[in-house]
Amino acid sequence: MKNVIVIILLSISVMVPVLARQSDVDYPEIQSKVRFAPVHIYLDSGNKLLAAYQFELKAAPRQIRIVGVEGGQHKAFEEAPYYDAAALANDRIIIAAFDTGSELPKGRTRIATIHLQIIGDAEPDYQLKLIVAADADANEIPAKISFEKGE
Amino acid sequence: MNEKPEHFDEHLDLRVSPEFSADLNTLFKPQFSIPPEIDRIVMDRAHQQLSPKHWRHRILRHISIWRIAAAAAVIIFAFSLNLTQKPGPTTKQSLLVEVRAVDIDGSGRVDILDAFKLARYVESSDRTVKKWDVNGDGLINSNDVDMVAFAAVRLPASVLPAQKTRVQVDKGV
Repeated sequence: MKNVIVIILLSISVMVPVLARQSDVDYPEIQSKVRFAPVHIYLDSGNKLLAAYQFELKAAPRQIRIVGVEGGQHKAFEEAPYYDAAALANDRIIIAAFDTGSELPKGRTRIATIHLQIIGDAEPDYQLKLIVAADADANEIPAKISFEKGE
Repeated sequence: MNEKPEHFDEHLDLRVSPEFSADLNTLFKPQFSIPPEIDRIVMDRAHQQLSPKHWRHRILRHISIWRIAAAAAVIIFAFSLNLTQKPGPTTKQSLLVEVRAVDIDGSGRVDILDAFKLARYVESSDRTVKKWDVNGDGLINSNDVDMVAFAAVRLPASVLPAQKTRVQVDKGV
């Protein structure tokens, strides 16, 4: 009888952490509402031509999952930019692109669109940071980065 | 041959006198009576406890319980370590070497400007700087540029192995 009790207790002690971990992983899908939305990223380089950019977007943990990245509005940046594939299904991404051509945008232009899975009803707290922007001579230029939430 | 020993003599009188029997009973009779069932149970338990087989079984049973407990402890410890997540393929040292290799402009930081400057260099006619052959294939071309660009956007805390992004697939890298 004692042996049976010991085995049952050991089984419980093994199963509880496993089930807890499982429920922890599945929590967002089961308990939270999930929706998909794009976020458009804009860069304003003023009167300077924009040839290269790099920025980072992140949100609070468990608020978003990045599901895709799209290029920008201008022909110079319409191809999908560089990003780490590990960022997909994550809540943080670094995106960068450049163009060596002569047809470059200036002023405010959409440089990328990030498709997100938003977890929960609360609006994600996005943190957008411009790492670098440069002109055609690869000189750093001042620029202002912003985002707009899409539908 | 037909002689029988005397002490096996069937005619030997083994009876004792009633007086002698009564005296023996008086001398050796217990002060209290024990039911025969209790006697039997005590004897059975004594046999069980003192038999070597029983002791071997108990020792083995205790060992197997401790083995189960040890296995459970190992499993719990393994789950607490979260072994399902594999460590990243790069070490800090190899990452440092890689960063030094792709920091084209020597700014101390690998960013898209390194890739941009390398791309401008690739498009130029003069390609004599061998150290910018980042992937070591003997050529300085767009593959080197891509490698620098991907190093620039790599997440610092990335735990997943390197995978091809859509850009890499599109470009057939």
